[in-house]
Amino acid sequence: MDTKYNIEIKKKNKPLVVIDEYTLEENKITFLFGESGIGKSLISKALMGLIDSEDLTVKINNQKYDDYLKQQKSIELLKNGFFVFQEPSSHLHPLLTLESQLNEGLLAEKELDIEELKRLWQGKSAEELKRFLKVYPKPYRPSGGEKQRVLCLMALKKMDIVQKAGMGDKGLFVFDEPTGNLDNFYRNIFISLLIEKYIESPFTITFITHDYSIISFIQKKYPHLLKDIRFKELYRKQNKVAEKEFIPSEYINWVKSIKVRIPDGERYDKSILLKFKKDFSVFGKQFTICDDNNRERETDLIVEAGDIVYLKAPSGVGKTTFAKIIMGLVKAEKYNFWLNGIEITEKKSANIWRNKLWGKVISMVFQHADEALNQKSKVKEVFDGIKLNHHAEVKDVLLDLFDPEIITDFFLNKKIDSLSGGQKQKLNLLRGFVLDAKLLILDEPVNGMDFESIKKVINLIEKKRRLGLGIILISHNEEIFDSFVDENKKYYLKEKGKNNF
Amino acid sequence: MKTKIEILKQIDDQNDVKWLLFWLIGIQVMLVWNNLFLNSPAFSLLKEAFFNSFKIGFIVIVFSLLLSWGMINFSLYLKNRNNWIYHYLFTFVINMIRSIPQILGVLIGYIVLTFILNNEMLKSEFMVIVFIGFVISFFVFLEMFDTMENRIEQFKKNDFYPAMLVSGISEYRIVNVEIFYKNSLGYIFHKLISMFGVALFLQCSIDFIISVGLSTDVSLSNFPITLGSLLAKMDSKQDILAIGKTLTDPLYGINLFFEHLQGISAAFIIVFTLMSIFKISNGFVKRISR
Repeated sequence: MDTKYNIEIKKKNKPLVVIDEYTLEENKITFLFGESGIGKSLISKALMGLIDSEDLTVKINNQKYDDYLKQQKSIELLKNGFFVFQEPSSHLHPLLTLESQLNEGLLAEKELDIEELKRLWQGKSAEELKRFLKVYPKPYRPSGGEKQRVLCLMALKKMDIVQKAGMGDKGLFVFDEPTGNLDNFYRNIFISLLIEKYIESPFTITFITHDYSIISFIQKKYPHLLKDIRFKELYRKQNKVAEKEFIPSEYINWVKSIKVRIPDGERYDKSILLKFKKDFSVFGKQFTICDDNNRERETDLIVEAGDIVYLKAPSGVGKTTFAKIIMGLVKAEKYNFWLNGIEITEKKSANIWRNKLWGKVISMVFQHADEALNQKSKVKEVFDGIKLNHHAEVKDVLLDLFDPEIITDFFLNKKIDSLSGGQKQKLNLLRGFVLDAKLLILDEPVNGMDFESIKKVINLIEKKRRLGLGIILISHNEEIFDSFVDENKKYYLKEKGKNNF
Repeated sequence: MKTKIEILKQIDDQNDVKWLLFWLIGIQVMLVWNNLFLNSPAFSLLKEAFFNSFKIGFIVIVFSLLLSWGMINFSLYLKNRNNWIYHYLFTFVINMIRSIPQILGVLIGYIVLTFILNNEMLKSEFMVIVFIGFVISFFVFLEMFDTMENRIEQFKKNDFYPAMLVSGISEYRIVNVEIFYKNSLGYIFHKLISMFGVALFLQCSIDFIISVGLSTDVSLSNFPITLGSLLAKMDSKQDILAIGKTLTDPLYGINLFFEHLQGISAAFIIVFTLMSIFKISNGFVKRISR
């Protein structure tokens, strides 16, 4: 039976999330999309009783939070469920080994499934896995992806325990962006494990994600399960949040249609903006750039005016570091490239970027809008200190990604920290696009966005390309960008001497 | 409209505001009491010392702010111009100043001031106060300089700083507007509050040290009267010593508030102000970090 909830979450009388009739479909897997900051995690935490009522005021179905939490149904949700948090680093105990955390509390009721462990850490020997389990989760070890897999493994264990107790239909399993730090290979393994558990006996699962390409994976691999799987999207409706069914074919058809098609006779200066020699070393490691179509074939990375280049690499290999080397923000030990005709090597002074390149020839949009933007600025101040193209006004610039009706004086005077994650990311991107630079690096440009915004961003990238801008894309969202970017413009970055596949 | 209870509750939650009110009330009560029971010349002296000390304190925070802000921008200028030799030289000078104990530095400044006064190069009392303020700020401004540098480093650690740099935004704008003005006013203000306390403490300590006299021609009597120098006067010392008498004769304690007001009041202002500043700055930090 489905349960509907009216949820209201406030901070000091300021509403954070108000949603009517949020549906928890029992014994179904719900993939929940929606722009970052819209309240997906908060809603799920509220239902699971994980909100500190001293910090936030919560009302569920017009009941005080404490009263809601006393209900048997609410108690069962958490008791027979699990919550995999989005940020794995802060949710593992630094002073307990991974093994002891995997066997902590109720989880001790079931032994660790070595087969699951092996599947989630493919390529590692039993001996390596044994050593890995003895690790204390300090800040830089294990990696974000490994920590995330540990948390997912905990949830899978809990599923076994609940299943054995015959309480599988009572709990709620929430996975809050559990694959955010995983590449598609490990993401697919985890989802397969999850679905296998579900097939054994159904659970109520909320899977919060921004990764729309999960839809294609599910459709291809588990078409027979589509009746048990829901795709939903949260969106803003006036001052509230509402949910709607997300139609998978809408996304799948769109992805097929976005291939960059350069019309015959499209004319612009095809000068080489960037030529990066294939080998470079940084932080004591050696890297090489390969053709993505043949990952054994090493090649220089070349970006011409009007090119969109897609750079891929396994998670954590150093795509952002590579971008920062081009931007002169990371000092590498050995590299050689030409940027708009200027040869740059490790011997070049850092001032060349400051005086000749930043904002003029090259710019970069960073991955985390929360860090890249001044949270204390107002929306209208985001472009302060930058010369806007052709004396455009801030409102005109915003029109590229924001709906016209949202661009009011009230919105322009809003502080950045009060915006949703998706809105921040749009402003972050617009600051990059508004410059007169010839080459722009976009690091995870569609991070935290809903489907409508992703479509707008892709359109904007294509629009700027047509104007002759060279663009380097870095993203783990392979499905969208593989489809978008020309086959000859895809590169693969790998560390020498490592298994990078 | 907020009710009185709500306003009082709000003040109670804000320790900095609460202690500022305590301080203002405490000083007012003390002044009224002194007006009633302290003889008129001593009361005038106390008021002058109070205002001079506070003037110096304010001058110290103004100079320190200007010096540190100027130095931060100068350092940025040297880095941007790739003048690494000058930049190392600049860092060396800054570290030289840092290596001098504040109290020793201020004492040296007072010796210079004595020389200036001996040669009648400074005649206005206000200019002497400004000079004292400058000397103290020269040896304490590095506290503000370090706070500002820490703020910049904090923002350099994440994408904030590089994201603006690569957008072609001037580094001066990033530092002065985006980091200092929009993100650090609370931190700077907090530092200024504690520097005011440091300035007051240093003044009083130095005034006490030099109460033995700096030269035959210049002594504390030539300097503008401050709380420290007032406390160093023989009358005040006797007032303070009278506190010791209450240990053997507790009933004598009542006389402290009628017959020994000059020294007791000077000491009270110093101690009460330093304690209040400590509470205000801590409360302020708590409030801005909420």
